Amino acid sequence: MAYLDIKDLSFIYPDCSDKAIDGVSLSIERGEFVVLMGATGSGKSTLLRLLKPELRLNGDICGEVLFDGEDMSDLTPEKSASQIGFVGQYPEEQIVTDKVWHELAFTLENLGADRDTIARRTAEISAFFDIDSWYRADTSSLSGGQKQLLSLASVMTADPGLLILDEPTAQLDPITAARFIDAVYRLNRETGITVIISEHRSEELLPRADRLLILEGGRVIADGSPRSVARELSSDSPYISYLTSAARIYKAGSNIGEPALSIREGQRYLSSFDNKIRSLPDACEHKPAEIALELKSVFFRYERDGADILSDLDLTVCRGEVFALLGSNGAGKSTAALVASGLRKPYSGKIRLFGKPLKDYKNGSLYKGNISLLPQDVESVFIRDTVGEELKGCEGVISTIPYDLTDLFDRHPYDISGGERQLVALCKALATQPQLIIMDEPSKGLDVNAKAQLADIVLVLKDREVTVLLISHDVEFAAMCADRCAMFSQGRIAACEPTERFLSGNRFYTTAASRITRGVYEGAYTVERALKLISLNGGKT
Amino acid sequence: MRRFEQMNPITTAFYYLCVLGVTMFSMQPVILCISLFSSVLCGVLDRSAGRRAHIFSAVLFIIAAVINPIAVHNGSTVLFYLNDRPFTLEAVVYGIAAACMITASLYWLRSLSKAMTSDKVMYIFGRFSPKTALIISMSIRYIGLFRLRWRKIQDSQRALGLYDDGNLIDAVRGRARVLSILITWTLENGIVTAESMEARGYGSMRRTSYSDYRIHTADVALTAVFTVLTAFTVAGLTNTSAVYYPDLRFSLFTPWGIVGAASFLVLCLLPPVINLRQYRTIRGARLA
Repeated sequence: MAYLDIKDLSFIYPDCSDKAIDGVSLSIERGEFVVLMGATGSGKSTLLRLLKPELRLNGDICGEVLFDGEDMSDLTPEKSASQIGFVGQYPEEQIVTDKVWHELAFTLENLGADRDTIARRTAEISAFFDIDSWYRADTSSLSGGQKQLLSLASVMTADPGLLILDEPTAQLDPITAARFIDAVYRLNRETGITVIISEHRSEELLPRADRLLILEGGRVIADGSPRSVARELSSDSPYISYLTSAARIYKAGSNIGEPALSIREGQRYLSSFDNKIRSLPDACEHKPAEIALELKSVFFRYERDGADILSDLDLTVCRGEVFALLGSNGAGKSTAALVASGLRKPYSGKIRLFGKPLKDYKNGSLYKGNISLLPQDVESVFIRDTVGEELKGCEGVISTIPYDLTDLFDRHPYDISGGERQLVALCKALATQPQLIIMDEPSKGLDVNAKAQLADIVLVLKDREVTVLLISHDVEFAAMCADRCAMFSQGRIAACEPTERFLSGNRFYTTAASRITRGVYEGAYTVERALKLISLNGGKT
Repeated sequence: MRRFEQMNPITTAFYYLCVLGVTMFSMQPVILCISLFSSVLCGVLDRSAGRRAHIFSAVLFIIAAVINPIAVHNGSTVLFYLNDRPFTLEAVVYGIAAACMITASLYWLRSLSKAMTSDKVMYIFGRFSPKTALIISMSIRYIGLFRLRWRKIQDSQRALGLYDDGNLIDAVRGRARVLSILITWTLENGIVTAESMEARGYGSMRRTSYSDYRIHTADVALTAVFTVLTAFTVAGLTNTSAVYYPDLRFSLFTPWGIVGAASFLVLCLLPPVINLRQYRTIRGARLA
């Protein structure tokens, strides 16, 4: 008997005719590391929620789920709480208490554990996750990555046998996300815990996972080891983009031999070509243009006695370009966005927008047609009960966006997917017809396809002569649409170059495609560019 | 010996209850002087009162002392007439005593809030009701979260050109909108928090409340000492009298009065003495 046995499981939401989960049968063995992928709305979250009694949503459930030989609906709340751990997407909201140690103790407190047990488990867990140095901290002082690690750790105190993770790193920057996934992987290898994780981060996950499931319309359409799934997917399948860059390069190429998954395997695969042509003919010239936004030796801090968040920041964005400011979470990029948009005043330095100092824009004229900001938390934008009302007055903008939002008009802004929410908020931010828009982490929480769509929209804006300043930790996203990239670190810009040179110049903070092609090709920073080069070198694409 | 702030939170809370209780419910000048002197000393030593707090307290002291004789005209010893109203010695003395009481209480409260961190408050409540403890912990977390989100919403709305505070009506309207967004946002996210609690077994069994604090013999002993000293102080208070109106009639230095004042002085100076001992031990450890 398998550890988790799902037999012909179907689920229908109330007032809905379509099955959200449609006849899923799976058996998962103890200790397996399972990755679940699928587009937004394919039923990933719904399926994961059906695996934990407390999180089951209202609706009709058919079929059965056996957990350790016991029917899921007969599971006692204690057994469910202690045996099935769940970590979701939102770092901030999952945390219940105000102190780290209390959060760690929370699960065991609920289970009525005595003092000694709690003391021992929290000590063990904090050593395992290396939480000791912030054990006594306030939960509000933690970074997003620490919050997610804390959520994972606090679930682990009850010593569960099954760990369910629903897009746990969607809100994290790539390096923090990799660290989180490392921790999950370590748990799986060192304690034998069974892991089911839904995630978009294939680069870190697929080379290590035992099994990959792809969900489409509530059905499992692919099930097997990541390598075999990579082999079996047809090369025109939309799910190719879910695979790692190495696998995508492999799929588009020869498709013989073992599929490459990791960066190393990708490099090995590339070396099978003779690679005489090393770079693409340079199409785009960076032409000097009028300066749109200029920050000159800007210094900023939040508190009088605090540390400088921006220290000697110089930044120049030209009119009509897409400029990406990259850096890890907590580096101060969002602060830079607030200062650049005039919402916070620097204590030293100059900021000019289209040649005019920010403070010379009087009576709010700054935010009426000149500059606009798409904030990181798009919830802070929505005021109305439906998307339609929300977008009143934005009709001109909606028509410019190559995506149909009218279907969403009757829904509540909180009930639509993350990608759609981002688009609605973007429309609102564009309503004043700004000449420059600052987007703060626009690709956060989006899957590969939604990201590509957003990148297209950014390019449409660029065609319309709107200057775009992207603030992002997402290198892959910047590679899709930015003209120039800058690396933000220690309150200032450490490097600023055209995207191609920037991404090939960086060793660590760069795209997977760039890492695979390093030393072989130049400027192959996206899978598409790499594929072009392979085909120029005689590879079949 | 641990530092006074490291004692069991119940001991700490009980201490402040005693000191504040005696200070706030007595108008006996000797006790008030002792209380004021020690509270300032404790405030300086535990760094709960800085320069600004001292300035504030001094101003408050003067205002409290001056307002009473201006407002109250009882008392038989008239010093002079102000706008045809008597300015009496009794009212001046009473004003100073009241100012002592208020200032001392404030200093003690500052020490209290410095010593009783949220962990400690939680521990005390957790012993009686684990649920209350959780509610307090969650509330503390939410206050911070609200403040942060308020700021974020305000920024977003301003950058969208939707938030003017040029005139009063627009400013009020803008704030109303921020509040409405804050509430929706928080309620929506509340669902995630509620699910996270339920997924981790909240409500499935009787909760326990975990805390690092233990009860040591020293905590029990200190609590007993506090009780005895407070009892002596109260005995002293009941065996002395301080009447301000219409004439000043004090009978302070009765035998019990002296015992009471001495007990209160010891009570007030216990924290610095305990901390001094610990400081010496640690310094000794470093040298050795």
